[in-house]
Amino acid sequence: MGAVKQSNNFVLGLWDHEEVFLHAIEHIRHDGLEIYETLTPFPVHGLENALGYRETRLHTAGFLFGATGTTLALSFMTWVMAFNYPLNFGGKPYWPLPSFIPITFELTVLFSAWGMVLTYCVRNKLIPGYVPRIYEPRTTDDRFALVFDIEGKSAEEIEKIKSLCNGNGAVEVKNRTFKDGE
Amino acid sequence: MVEKFEFDSKLKKNLFIMMGVGLLGLIWAFFANGVHDNHSRFWSNILLNTYYFTGMGIFGIFFVSANQLGYSGWITLVKRVYMSLSGFVVVGAVFAAIIVGGVWGGYHNLYEHWSLEANMKELPNVKQAFFNKGFWTARVVIYFTLWILVGKAVISAINAKNIGDQKVYKRSKLMAALWIVVFAVSESFVSWDMVMSQDPHWYSTLFGWYNFASYGCGGFAMAILLVIFLKSRGYLQQVNENHIHDMGKYMFAFSIFWTYLWFSQFMLQWYANLPEDTNYWVKRFDVPTFKFTIFLALTINFAAPLLLFIKRGAKRNLKVAAFIAVLVIFGHYVDFFNMTMFEPNLLPAGQEECCKKGEGKEEKKEAALAGGTVLYAQADAGTAKGTVGKTLVTPEKGSTDANTAEGKSANEAAAQTEGEAKETKSEEAKGGEKVCCAGMGKGECKEHMAACKEGEGKEGEEACGGRQTKASLGLPELLTFVGFLGMFLYMFFNEFSKDSTFNENDPYLKESLRHHVEYA
Repeated sequence: MGAVKQSNNFVLGLWDHEEVFLHAIEHIRHDGLEIYETLTPFPVHGLENALGYRETRLHTAGFLFGATGTTLALSFMTWVMAFNYPLNFGGKPYWPLPSFIPITFELTVLFSAWGMVLTYCVRNKLIPGYVPRIYEPRTTDDRFALVFDIEGKSAEEIEKIKSLCNGNGAVEVKNRTFKDGE
Repeated sequence: MVEKFEFDSKLKKNLFIMMGVGLLGLIWAFFANGVHDNHSRFWSNILLNTYYFTGMGIFGIFFVSANQLGYSGWITLVKRVYMSLSGFVVVGAVFAAIIVGGVWGGYHNLYEHWSLEANMKELPNVKQAFFNKGFWTARVVIYFTLWILVGKAVISAINAKNIGDQKVYKRSKLMAALWIVVFAVSESFVSWDMVMSQDPHWYSTLFGWYNFASYGCGGFAMAILLVIFLKSRGYLQQVNENHIHDMGKYMFAFSIFWTYLWFSQFMLQWYANLPEDTNYWVKRFDVPTFKFTIFLALTINFAAPLLLFIKRGAKRNLKVAAFIAVLVIFGHYVDFFNMTMFEPNLLPAGQEECCKKGEGKEEKKEAALAGGTVLYAQADAGTAKGTVGKTLVTPEKGSTDANTAEGKSANEAAAQTEGEAKETKSEEAKGGEKVCCAGMGKGECKEHMAACKEGEGKEGEEACGGRQTKASLGLPELLTFVGFLGMFLYMFFNEFSKDSTFNENDPYLKESLRHHVEYA
């Protein structure tokens, strides 16, 4: 996105079975190849482990959003109730902390939930107006795909990728080229 | 394949030592405050520990029952650990019998507000029907009988060796459902009868729930500690960090649940500010010990688990889990301390009065009483102008408009007491003895004045102006707690060693053996 120029040349390896696909990923990663993208028709158990993804940091983001909500709620109510427009409610103190707590809690949850959802969507490019690239239509049906970036790679390296895919049970290996702006 | 816990003599000896320490603590508590206070520290310690540990025990069966009804598999390996917590209920019954005996035998420390005939007559008629010695005793007997008998039936139904059989399995579910009904009703009632009735004029409608959450935290924490202990002894090796993770999640969730209920109780009463509700808090906030322990309990039971135990890694680390479990057990002890220790150890009425009043006794007494029944009473003019420049509401008018008649007088009273507190303090020492000891014997007067002085030293006008309680989180309490803990553990291991460590025929055993917590 943006300044970084996106690669247009890819090699696709297609598998038709989940287990074989998982093993193939392990072998391919073991041989030091970099996988650009993984596409599956359904969530595959253990895929993130096989791909070596680190644990998500989404919950840390959730905590920070929640803390923002807490701070905002408390400081806003303090400002309103104690400084800007102090009113006497039944003789309560001007800074009635216990009655702030439920609202603080609600705002913490609200910020945390919305923040996490939006962060998730943005990180996964699920924002409105973004048109995703379709590498292979059958990945929404019955094919598991590995995408390799071959931009600037020599013919030997490309051949190695293809042979590794074939050697690990891929049912189909092909090139996929996009035009600019596609 | 069938493994059975061996309750060896070395462990038994250690537990007996703990019990001996507890006995020492009880004896100490019996004599700690002199004879004049009728040994209230002794009685309240017994009540506190009996209630806490019995609660953990009955909660253990409840938790397994709930899981049994929910077809939950992960718990199968540790089911017997949770259920064996209830071994203590029998001992709890013995101590409850001692408490009942005390009530009938003239020790009115715990429930003097209704166990004394004269005090009972002050209660509304409906409450008189409920809080009288006969009916109360009958109820306590019913609770413990139900817990022991039904508890035993539930445990044996869930432990049945032929539970793979459809009929037996269905029966175990039926018994689990029965326990949930028995537990839900008896648990609420016992919290009213044994704890809330110490001050029968005060009530909180979610008290049963609140106590339930406390039992839960204590029970989960105890189970985590015991599983870790058993694992270190070479039992339950199939239990791994995945199970501890889930047990920890429950402890964490119940800590938050407890806070929710604690706060719901506090906030509503704080907000409404009705004298009959706030009574409970005002009295406790008046005494430095309780002001401290209330916030201590809140810190340990809420802030500590929330901050230290929220991460996945913490729940899967046995050391961290054990540390938090110890904190939670102590924290809920402190919470029950706040509930049970205050009333019995309160100085008799009138005694605290003399400490602060040398002269002009009557007026100030009224003022203090009026001021002392509400949690807050904004003395307006000064504060409003001090903190805020552009108040749009006329202070005097704003404050009185919304208030009821009582609220108004309370406001004035609070302002009055505040102003006069300083003057009275210096005078009380001189004029005190004569005024206070009117109509008392010499020895009585001496003791009386000593009691006053003790309160005075602690936090100046605050301690002396309010109520004084002899309760403290001291060594006798600690020793008694250790003793009860020893008894609890003894009964646990005794119950646990009766059968294999887990039911190897349970239809859900495989799920528990393979239990694995994914990222969540």
